[in-house]
Amino acid sequence: MQFRNLLKKELRELFTLQVIMSMLTSVVLLVLMGQMFGGAVDSAEEQSGAANIAVVDTSNPEFMNQVMSVVEQNLKVSKYNVTSDDYASELKRLEIDNLVVIPEGFAESILNGEPGKIDFISTVKVGGLTSSLSTITSSASISVISHVIQTMVLSGNYGLTETQINTLWNNVVAVEYATFDGKIVNASAEEITGNVMMQMLIAPLVIFFLLFMASQMIMTAISTEKIDKTLETLLSAPVSRLTLLFAKLLAAIIAALANAAAMTVGMFFYMDGLSGGIMGELTGTAGDAMSQLGLSLGVMDYILFGVQLFFTIAIGLGISLILGALATDIKSVQSLLMTMMMVILVPFAACLIADVNAMSPLFKTIMYLIPFTHSYMAIPNLMTGQMALFWFGLIYQIIFFAVVMYFAVKMFTSDKLFTMSFDFSNRRQRSDVRRQSGK
Amino acid sequence: MSHILECTGLTKRYPKRDVNAAEDITFSVNEGEIFAIIGPNGAGKTTTIRMIATLLQPTSGEAQIGGFSLVKEPEKIRKIITYLPDEAGAYKGMTGIHYLEFMASLFAENPKQLEGFVQRGEEICKLGDKLRDKIGSYSRGMIRKLLLARAVMTSPKLAIMDEATSGLDVINALEIRRMIKELAVSENMAFLLSSHNMLEIEYLADRVALITDGKISRVGTVTELKAEYNARNLEEVFEKAVSNNAIS
Repeated sequence: MQFRNLLKKELRELFTLQVIMSMLTSVVLLVLMGQMFGGAVDSAEEQSGAANIAVVDTSNPEFMNQVMSVVEQNLKVSKYNVTSDDYASELKRLEIDNLVVIPEGFAESILNGEPGKIDFISTVKVGGLTSSLSTITSSASISVISHVIQTMVLSGNYGLTETQINTLWNNVVAVEYATFDGKIVNASAEEITGNVMMQMLIAPLVIFFLLFMASQMIMTAISTEKIDKTLETLLSAPVSRLTLLFAKLLAAIIAALANAAAMTVGMFFYMDGLSGGIMGELTGTAGDAMSQLGLSLGVMDYILFGVQLFFTIAIGLGISLILGALATDIKSVQSLLMTMMMVILVPFAACLIADVNAMSPLFKTIMYLIPFTHSYMAIPNLMTGQMALFWFGLIYQIIFFAVVMYFAVKMFTSDKLFTMSFDFSNRRQRSDVRRQSGK
Repeated sequence: MSHILECTGLTKRYPKRDVNAAEDITFSVNEGEIFAIIGPNGAGKTTTIRMIATLLQPTSGEAQIGGFSLVKEPEKIRKIITYLPDEAGAYKGMTGIHYLEFMASLFAENPKQLEGFVQRGEEICKLGDKLRDKIGSYSRGMIRKLLLARAVMTSPKLAIMDEATSGLDVINALEIRRMIKELAVSENMAFLLSSHNMLEIEYLADRVALITDGKISRVGTVTELKAEYNARNLEEVFEKAVSNNAIS
């Protein structure tokens, strides 16, 4: 009996309405995320279902038909006709992201006992992790073609000498081309995409941790001031409420920026160590290829990113300040912080896994309404030159910041700081008050 | 004797809850007077005090504090009052002296004045070397002494204190009561107190206002109230006033 009562009391304390609401919010958000990512993965899988192959070589149709027929037995193939060697334009015309081209003279080289050259053209993807799936299937087709040719040459009677056959173990050489925005370079798109992803990963991670720490910091600070009643002492002192508000915000911004600097340095060395000096490599071959494709960031890009980072932090702090001021106890702080974390986490995960711009209009709108989405998308937008999207994001954030500040100022300059609270039990209290007052 | 505080019809209404937390509050406090508001829990004491401390905006009514309008000039009022909330804390990461310096800097107009405020604060709280320790290591009594010193070190014209001695042991409570009395006499400082401790109010207050259901029912000296309710002490006055109000 005692144990049951104690257990009931503990459960009642743990499962408050705020906690249940937070749990429900998490479930709803996770379901939404599943829907969003499921769609992105399905779409990527759809694209990755078939290997895109164009056979240009007409010198030995019989041999090539035989090769393709065996390849098609092992791989789902989509065949394309290529009319020019301007591969970047061809990919655009065919509306595909990658293509394996078997060029003129391929069969002749193989049958002469020389390695055959295959062109593999792939578009550099600047999006989530799922966007590179289609490239993997087409890239796999090269090893299938290589294997098929080895088997055919070894088993068939093509008049090759034993020495020639032995040299054909590496009979297919893939020459990789990477395209982006109509430009093409002789480099591996996969490697460039990897490097782009590395760069894109650092910024959102820094933003994520920054927002997380800044929100937690200011929400805890303001709620502690309210709960400890030091805020009442301050607000009854001869100090302008706006001065107080902006001092709090500025201090939090300075602390957040100091954190950002520490985090960036830490992330730089972490990524550098993880990738075996990827940053060093970036200045080499991959770095040159990225520059030629217009995928490198200039000084102005970093300045613009810095401006957006400032508004991102300011919005996060503004919202956290308001939410922290609504807290009545430590439990409500935790619930509010959890909700804030989900708002920061959802767009982070969305941008990391999927390409937000490729989402359905509904999810895209939801993601665009969350101001932090634009922060996570800033680097990809700047990198790919999608300046219209960048400016839209920045202007939206500035407007959002103005609205948040309007409410923060209104809260601090009125008595709403003391009369408003995040407390679901208010409804019960209100009815108690009515009952007691007979109203 | 002139009034330092004059409330006229102060009302705080919460329309969403359909409740008047304080209604038509009218009373005055003289310079150097210790004025107490007493009443049961939820009667409107803290709402009234918070309105006078400029934290809550009255829905209607007005108050003049040191000649300034509560509604129109709250920022001027904040220069001449101090407020000590019930169960207030202080910044645990600061040392006691740093806290006094920080709070003094909000009131002082120049470094000399700031220095004077801090020196006075140090003398009043009597915490000695403990002032160099972090507030996080202080006992509840020490924190209350520090906050009280903070509240009076700037020599406000009106010090507003909600449950000034709550949670303190007898010795600390007595010390603080003596200090309040002394400051009222020696510096002509007015005090607006709220307390549940009737013995404390009886000892301290020059005049008392009884508040129930958000309204002030009686204002008078302790002697007047005892005579009116035919009571031996303020506790009996309180009991009778509350039960009368409940019956009516």
